[in-house]
Amino acid sequence: MTDRIAALARRVEGDDLFLASALADYAHAEDLDERGLAQRLGCSTKTLVSLRLCLKPDPKPVVFRREVDRIASRFEVDAGVLAEAIRLSDATRAMRDKTGVEDGGLLMAARDRHEDSEGEGS
Amino acid sequence: MNERRPNSATRMYQICYEVQNALSVMSHHGEEGRNLRARLLAGDTTASNDVVAAYLDGLADWLEKLYPQEHPNDCSTAAADAVLAFIRSPATYDPEKQTLEKYLRMSADGDMRNLLRSERRHMKRRVNLELAEPSVENQLRDEEADPAHILERRIDEAETDAKLRSLMPDWLAAGLVPEEIQVLGLMRIKERRTTVYAAALGISHLPFKEQQKQVKRAKDRLNKRMERMASQDD
Repeated sequence: MTDRIAALARRVEGDDLFLASALADYAHAEDLDERGLAQRLGCSTKTLVSLRLCLKPDPKPVVFRREVDRIASRFEVDAGVLAEAIRLSDATRAMRDKTGVEDGGLLMAARDRHEDSEGEGS
Repeated sequence: MNERRPNSATRMYQICYEVQNALSVMSHHGEEGRNLRARLLAGDTTASNDVVAAYLDGLADWLEKLYPQEHPNDCSTAAADAVLAFIRSPATYDPEKQTLEKYLRMSADGDMRNLLRSERRHMKRRVNLELAEPSVENQLRDEEADPAHILERRIDEAETDAKLRSLMPDWLAAGLVPEEIQVLGLMRIKERRTTVYAAALGISHLPFKEQQKQVKRAKDRLNKRMERMASQDD
């Protein structure tokens, strides 16, 4: 992994097309640093660079599941955590677009809502 | 002593072997590009990572060789821009026409030119703003303008000169060539970029490392001059 590739992985954190943006939102909401995020996903920090450079899966359920599985098996990360990170990020961005609020609190709200809906389902 | 030379059949065999190898490498590259494009178009989310891993470094290295006078960070940025553009719109690449490597090189070269153009515009604006050089346009207008305007502009220019002088003491500016005064002005406004100093010194055409060397030499010389003058003052 070269410095240039690592720099590009960081650069695309602001680009909604890339998984980097979802992982950044998730790490922010969960208050995770680089190592914490890698640990949560079950991979090395080096693998995180490759993950960030993947594209964010289409939210259509069939495609979403297939692509999350593809990424998870290719990079040997926890598919559940990956799916959660992407959904959390999507929810946050949707709320941000709706309210026009750029507040970090939205991430917390999205996480709480996500946890509530998981609780209701179980 | 007679040297053993390969006969013509052996030589021909060697040439065929080398051509075959070269074609195989080219076809491998062509296949790789075609394959990555197909994966991106099919929505394979891991393909983008593979494009970056396969092409980014090679592309940036190529740009560094093509633009030895520019900062390596600019080469990396232009290479990354080209790779990202392909990831966003893979259909714009036609594998029937060229290899992906060649396509990306053309794209990166264009991005590099745009980047340099906008940097130079920015640099020029900054140097003009900070050092407020009288513009050629103003000088050309002199002959046509009425005396009141000429006087007004002369006052502006005098203020500009005063601003420039305020960046450095008179005793320091005395004896310096205009390029050195500009460098001194840039040092005073804490400019850090080598390319800006290189523009002031008129050495932008040189390789970046050479620019660094000459800019350092000019700054060292001016620093020593300042130290020497200051100690004389004491």
